[in-house]
Formats: sequence, structure tokens, C-alpha cells
Amino acid sequence: MLYLSQVLGRPILDLDGERVAVLKDVIVRLGEEDHPPVAGFVARYRRRDFYLPRWRIAQFAENGVRLNSDKLDLSPFMRRDGEVMLARDVLDKQLIDVDGKRVVRVNDVQIIEADDWRVTGADVSLTGLWRRLAPAFMRSGRPVEVIDWADVGYLATDAATVQLKSSRGKLTRLHPVEIARLAEAFSYQHGAEIVESLDDETAAETLEEMAAERQAQILGDMDEERAADILEHMSPDEAADVLLDLPEDKAEDLLNRMEDEEQSEVAELLPYADDTAGGLMTTEFVTLPRELTVGEALARLREMAETPNMIYYLYVVAGEGSWNLTGVIALRSLILADQSAPLERVMRTGIQVAHANDDATEVAQKISEYNLLALPVVDELGDILGIVTVDDAMELLLPKGWRQRLPRLLS
Amino acid sequence: MANERDVRGVGRRLLRRSAQGVRRTVARRPRLVGYLAVIGPGVITAAAGNDAGGIATFASVGADYGYKLLWVLIPLTISLAIVQEMCARMGAVTGKGLSDLIRERFGVRWTTFVMLALLIANGGVTISEFVGIAAALELLRVPRFVSVPVAAVAIWWLVVKGTYQRVERVFLAMSLVFLAYVVSAFLAHPPWATVLAETVRPHFELTPVFLFSLVAVIGTTISPYMQVFIQSSVVEKGVRAENYRLTKIDVWLGTVLAILIVFFIVISTAATLNVHGEHIESAQQAARALRPLAGPYAEVLFAIGLFGASMLAAGVLPLATAYSISEAFGFEKGVSSSFREAPIFLGVFTFLVVLGASVAMMPGLSLINVLLVTQVINGVLLPIILIVVLKLVNDRELMGSHVNGPIYNVAAWVTTIIVSALSVLVILSSLFPRLFSSSR
Repeated sequence: MLYLSQVLGRPILDLDGERVAVLKDVIVRLGEEDHPPVAGFVARYRRRDFYLPRWRIAQFAENGVRLNSDKLDLSPFMRRDGEVMLARDVLDKQLIDVDGKRVVRVNDVQIIEADDWRVTGADVSLTGLWRRLAPAFMRSGRPVEVIDWADVGYLATDAATVQLKSSRGKLTRLHPVEIARLAEAFSYQHGAEIVESLDDETAAETLEEMAAERQAQILGDMDEERAADILEHMSPDEAADVLLDLPEDKAEDLLNRMEDEEQSEVAELLPYADDTAGGLMTTEFVTLPRELTVGEALARLREMAETPNMIYYLYVVAGEGSWNLTGVIALRSLILADQSAPLERVMRTGIQVAHANDDATEVAQKISEYNLLALPVVDELGDILGIVTVDDAMELLLPKGWRQRLPRLLS
Repeated sequence: MANERDVRGVGRRLLRRSAQGVRRTVARRPRLVGYLAVIGPGVITAAAGNDAGGIATFASVGADYGYKLLWVLIPLTISLAIVQEMCARMGAVTGKGLSDLIRERFGVRWTTFVMLALLIANGGVTISEFVGIAAALELLRVPRFVSVPVAAVAIWWLVVKGTYQRVERVFLAMSLVFLAYVVSAFLAHPPWATVLAETVRPHFELTPVFLFSLVAVIGTTISPYMQVFIQSSVVEKGVRAENYRLTKIDVWLGTVLAILIVFFIVISTAATLNVHGEHIESAQQAARALRPLAGPYAEVLFAIGLFGASMLAAGVLPLATAYSISEAFGFEKGVSSSFREAPIFLGVFTFLVVLGASVAMMPGLSLINVLLVTQVINGVLLPIILIVVLKLVNDRELMGSHVNGPIYNVAAWVTTIIVSALSVLVILSSLFPRLFSSSR
């Protein structure tokens, strides 16, 4: 087993044991494998960097590298796609440890010889730090905390071409809330890269968990088609909020690229100001005409192609195709009620509603006061426009917690 | 088919109406708020530079040298703004903190060296803040054996319990009292012609005392922690290369405002203390500069300002240091973590608070001297940070087209070289006390 820090700067010897250059970097080829193989070395000779392919190396050990010939082929070094230079791109950089759900800094890289030389892990321990700081005799042989390379979900390197191909799959093992928290620990460029590497659905859910300005930044910088795809997967109220945070031209462009149905849902929410019930509401909810029976209503719910997140309250409207809100049924009552009973008999009337221009905080307070999961928003005619859900209301009521990162001096 | 329409189609009938609405709504968004949100870090960081050490340094400079050191303020403004601007720019372009960049670009050894320098410099400043707390409360007849431990425990508790941010504003408001210096300077009727002349006429003495004062002035103005601060708050604010121009204005504005206050502190102390040949030994004397404005209440006014400014920085500095070090070495961080989860982060924070409080309580300590010495330490360590910052900001791979221009670079390097030279001179003169006095 080798550590990168031990081999960097070591001599490269030819067949006769003559020192021909110094080892400057180790090149690794990233792919689908859990432990990527060493593909070659960067050798430094007379202030210039040269490439040594793997097959030219006879021996790779703590005291250096030995070539399998006495000729040194001086081909200048050029980075190729999918290649990572361990010293330059990995050492001292941050990465996501999917297993530990955290962002760590690489103090050293572990290389193990199995069938070939392979990168097996990232050393993130204090011992790893000490190994690079202290003279050799003061180093301890203590076992170290190594993150298995198979658990590396994202590598925050500046070399754009080397993103881990398999990172998408690894990151999606995490909950979107966790991905969002981890992405926010990086610089905005890396955070955006993380979101972009996810599939549309996960990217949308992850963005929803991030701060509003950050969502807008990430989507604003992204390829427009991709951004529109992600917006379609976001809940309409969140998507509308993001669009409102973007510059006008950009927002319009993204909106126009969205599919008709999602576009209309989002577009409807755009005219409302942020701090009103309209700005807080979502258009994803279920309405049922009052003439249905309980059994028919349940059957409809099952048939629905896409069920909104919020189906604990079902809103009863005056008739098929109407939006006039007449009552509400909790999903629980619907399940427990007699199958043949008409909805009108089971529903509750005289319910709490909000109007689109009501103050958002007051609406949120109402939700918490009446212990509701959602509050319908209606227009002057009593037609339902949308609902404000309890999670959005909570965000408004909870004080902003202490920031995890470096505190602002004054806020 | 019908139910699908029921479920999700609410927006459809409104499509036409609202599609027109988009342009209108988006345009209606108040852009000004966006601009104001970007303004901030520069002004705030520069204002925070006027802490206990800053007040003490400039008050004693005013008392000892009268108006003779006013000329330093103009080059100092330029240097401070340039240094702060470079860090703000790095934050905007890279989205990373200063210690992040140092670690990623220079590796472990350099990082250790720079972090050690930062720890010492910030440790010194933290001590000076606790000394400021002690001095402020002694003016109000509270002995330091009571005030300092209480303040230290309170700060530690507030920060770890996460409620410090709320109290912060109170301290900030208290430190605004120092604006009183501006009024006081006018009421003291200084000889304005002399003031203006000294502002543009350089004056230099090659004596240990003079060098000491000069380095203290530089050290308290361009403190290493301010560079770390501004870069982090620019990153935290989400400022980016595209909207960076406003931050640049913010940095310059903040610097000019901060130095302007310093200008009036020097004038008011020069006009009230220097004319009587008084040397500042205690906070009582320093407070006298506010007499033209506050009369008998000068001491109370001074105490309030000093207490607010010191409490503010005494909480933020140890915390920021702990963050920087944890960030650079990849230790677990965050005030909400427990000692078991983040031993080094909380350890550094606690160590600095305890260190600051213990030194400030040492019996027989001249508070003003401690304040000055810690600023000199700051000044001596400043070149290390400056060199690192200059190397980073000129790294094309990191900054792309946002590297320094040639004029900027010259100004920044001149600052660095002068500060380094002065630091070397101060170290030499303290090692060999007779080096310069004989040449006089």
C-alpha cells in the first residue's frame, strides 16, 4: 500500500538504476470501476513535464518509480478526457463522502496494488495531515481513517473534464435534503455542478431544498433546455419563486421552454407577490365534484396519472368542471366513510379560506393556529385558485436558524 | 379524462391571462433590493476594523504625534481598499473562502504556516478586544476581575448556543457611538490649516517609537482577519463575477468611511490631548477626546462605544478563526456541533476566548500598551497574508480574466514591500533596542 504523499517528488529510475526524472503526479483513469486504475505518471525533467504511460513502469514503490527500459520517451504531457491527476486534482480538494453524508478534505490518497495499481481511498485523517507535515521519523503507523473511493460521490476539482461518471448514481443514494446541504457546503460553481450531475427529478427536489437565491443562480447558469426540464419537475410554487428571482429575459425564456401543462401551472402563480397567499400557494391539489359518491371519488384518486403531493385534503367543487369551492374532505374521512354516501354528505363546509392577496405571514399563522395541513386560496367568486401547504407556511414562521458556515459578521 | 382536468388544470384557463402577466410581473420586481443586497460586506468589514485596538492606536497616535501622522491615512486608504478588494474579488470569482484557496493552491505546509500566523494575529486581536472590554467597564467602575470573566462566559455561551447573532446588533449599535468623534473633532476647533497641511505632508522618524506606532497603525487598519472576513462574507452573500462591480464600490466606500472616522479620532485627540502634551496611558485619558462634545459624560460615552465594539469583535474573531482553521484542514465545523463532533473547531474557539480573557485579567497590565502591542503583532504578520493573497489573485487558472491589472499589482506589491520592510525594522528595533536611537 502506498500513499500519494510518499511517492510525489521521488526519483524515476531507468533500468540501470540511473535517475532520469522526478515523479510529479500520478494519473488515474476514472470510469465505472469502484477503484480506478493508475494510467500513467507525470515526470518532471529539467522544468518540463512529460508523460509516462503505465506500461513503461516496471516498479512503483515508496522509494520511487523504475522504468522497464533504459530509454526515456520524452512525450510532453497532455491531459486527456476522463483523466484525473491525483496531486493536482484530488489532493487537498474537497469531496463528498456518500457513506458518511459529509464533505471532507483529502489529506492523502491511498493506492493499493491488486491486479494493477488502483486508487482505493482518500485519507481524510489527522494522521494523513501529519504524514505530509512531519519528517519521516516522527510519523506514526497508526491506522488511518480512509474513505473508500467507491463512496466518493463528487470530487470538487477545477478540471471540468474529469467529473466522476458514476457520481450521479452514488449521490442519488442520498436524500435530496442531504444532497442540497452538501452542495451548499461547496462554492457556487461546484454546487451547480453537483445539481447538474443529478437526474431531472432529483435535481428538482434538491433545488427545492436550497436557498432561493442559490436556486436561481444555478438554474440561471445552466443550459436553458436542461433548466426548463428541471423546472418542470419542481412543484409549481417553487418553480414560480425561482423564475421570479431570475432576470426577466431569462425567466421568460425558461418559461417558454417548459411543457405546456407545467408552464401554465407556473405561469398562473407568477402574478402574485411573494408576501401574499398567492405567492405562497401551489396549484397542485385535488378537486372532486360534489355529486360523486365516496366510492367514485376514491376510484378517481386511484386512476389519477400524477397524484399531487398534497392529497390529505380533497376539495369539493360545485360540479364537474367547476372551480367553485363548496367543501373539503380529509382523506381519512373519505376512507372511513360509507362507500355509497355522496360527497356532499361527508364533506365539511364553512371551511377556512384565504384570498390571493392576503398577507402571507397571516395565512401561515392561520394554518398553524387551526392545525391545518393546507389552506385553500379562493378568488372573489369563491373559485379555488390553489392551496398553501403547511411546509411552506412553516418556512415563514420558523426563525432563520444559525448558519452553519462562517457567520456573517453582521446580518 | 375529466378528472385529470379537475386535478391539475387549474392554471390552464388562466394561461393566456398570465402569460401576459409574466413580463409585467417579472419587470415589477424591485431591482433596487437586489443591488442593496450586494452592498454590504465591504462597508461592514471596514467599519469593524475600528475596534478596541483601532481606537487605542489612533487615539494614542493623535496624542503623541498630534497631526503629524495624518498623512499616513491617504496611502493607507488606498492600500486597505486594494487589499480588501482583491479578497472580495477572489470570493466573487471562486466562490471559496481564503483558507480554502490557500489549502487547495499551496498544500499542507504553507497552509499550516499561514494558519499559524493567522492564529497568532487573531489571538492578539482577541486579547485586545477583551482588554477593551476591561477598559470600558473600568471607566464605569467595574473591576476587570469581574467584567472580563463575565464577558468571556457570556460570549462563549451566546456563540455556542447560537444566539450571538441576535445580540450582535446591540453591540453594533453601541459601537456607533464612535461617530461622536466626528462632532467632537469639529467642536475642539483644531487648526484646520495645519490639519490639511499634515494630511498631505509626509513625516518620518527612524526611531523605535515611531516605527512601532506606524506599524501599529498599519496593523490595526489592514488586519489579517479583515481579509478572511471580507472574502467569506462575499462568498456567503453569493456575490459573483457578474455582479461584482457593486461590491467593488462597496469595498472602496467602506474603506473611505472607516478611514474618515479614524481621521476624526486622530484630530480630536490631537486637539484635546496633544496640545497639552499628554500621553495616553489609560482609557480615562483617551475618553477626554470626547469632552468637547460630551463634557462630563465623555467617559460614559467612550465606555459605551468601546464596550460595544469590543464585545462585537470578541465574539466574532475567535469564531472566524476557528472556522478558517477548520476549513483549511477539513475539520468538522459549526457552532451547533458538540465537542465530540468538532473538537478542534470548538477547541480553537474556546482557547481564544479563554486566552483573551486571561491576558486581559493579568494584574498590573497597562491596557493601552497591550492594545498597541497586539496591533504591532498584526502588522508584523500582515506581509505573510498579503503575499499569499497576491499570489492567489494573480493565479490565472483560478481567477481567469479577473487577475490583477499591472497598476493594481504595482500598488499591491508596493504596499506589501513597505509593510514587510517596516515589520522587519520593528522586529530589529525590538531585538536591538539601541540600533536606531544612536543614529538620532
